[in-house]
Amino acid sequence: MSDLLYNDSNIYLFVAVFMLFCGIAGLVYRRTLIGMLVSLELIMNGAGLNLVAINRFISPENPYGLAFTLIIMGIAAAESAIALSIIIIIARRYKHIESGDMKELKY
Amino acid sequence: MMSIGEGIFLFAVAVTMAGALTAIFASSIVHAMLGLIAAMFGVAGLYVYLNSTFLAMMQILIYVGAISILIAFAIMLLGQYPRKSRNFRGILKLLSSLVISLVSVFMFIRFVMANLPKGVAPNFAMTARDIGRLLTDQLILPFELISLLLVVAIIGAVMLSMNSRGDK
Repeated sequence: MSDLLYNDSNIYLFVAVFMLFCGIAGLVYRRTLIGMLVSLELIMNGAGLNLVAINRFISPENPYGLAFTLIIMGIAAAESAIALSIIIIIARRYKHIESGDMKELKY
Repeated sequence: MMSIGEGIFLFAVAVTMAGALTAIFASSIVHAMLGLIAAMFGVAGLYVYLNSTFLAMMQILIYVGAISILIAFAIMLLGQYPRKSRNFRGILKLLSSLVISLVSVFMFIRFVMANLPKGVAPNFAMTARDIGRLLTDQLILPFELISLLLVVAIIGAVMLSMNSRGDK
């Protein structure tokens, strides 16, 4: 039974690190703030998948990883709500949502 | 010979990876959001294969049901703004992001994969009851802090959008 493909932890961890890969690449590569937020959600998703896979294969006797993944989901919801309201304010003020031109608070 | 379960598993993996690639390389932001939704559905399928169906349902409810709808609302509210801006940065940023990401993949292959225990996968049967026990027993402080965080986020979002209505 254990030689089935979905009983191998490497595939789950590889998918998680691939989502982290895509998230970092999108965070650096995208110009608009909504695109960067989408990449950030990808990173959060990859972290959750990583925690659940580690919990299932390394320490299957308690559900700490599942509980922390639920907490990550709550944090992602709060973070995206705040980020989207900030993006809407920025769009009203600057008339665009490119991240490169917002440098009033940079120096 | 591949069984049906393995085929569905590989399909979930492929949907996740294709969705993630679409989310970062699509030129239209709506297509990027659809790719993010596909990646979230794929991760929900992987949660089912990890014997945690409660988390799969929560993934679909919270991520696909709430967060992507929030992003869709933001795209609709800002419909006229992203059209004038270019979507991507230059080729140098792409190269630097690829370097950063490849370093993380290398670290994964070099250190994590070498230290994982081999052999038979253990049994794992955690139900929603066990998660609820843990959340209300030992993790009661983070659980309550999450509710506080959500209240602060709601009030903050409302205050931000109310106070900025007047000024131009």
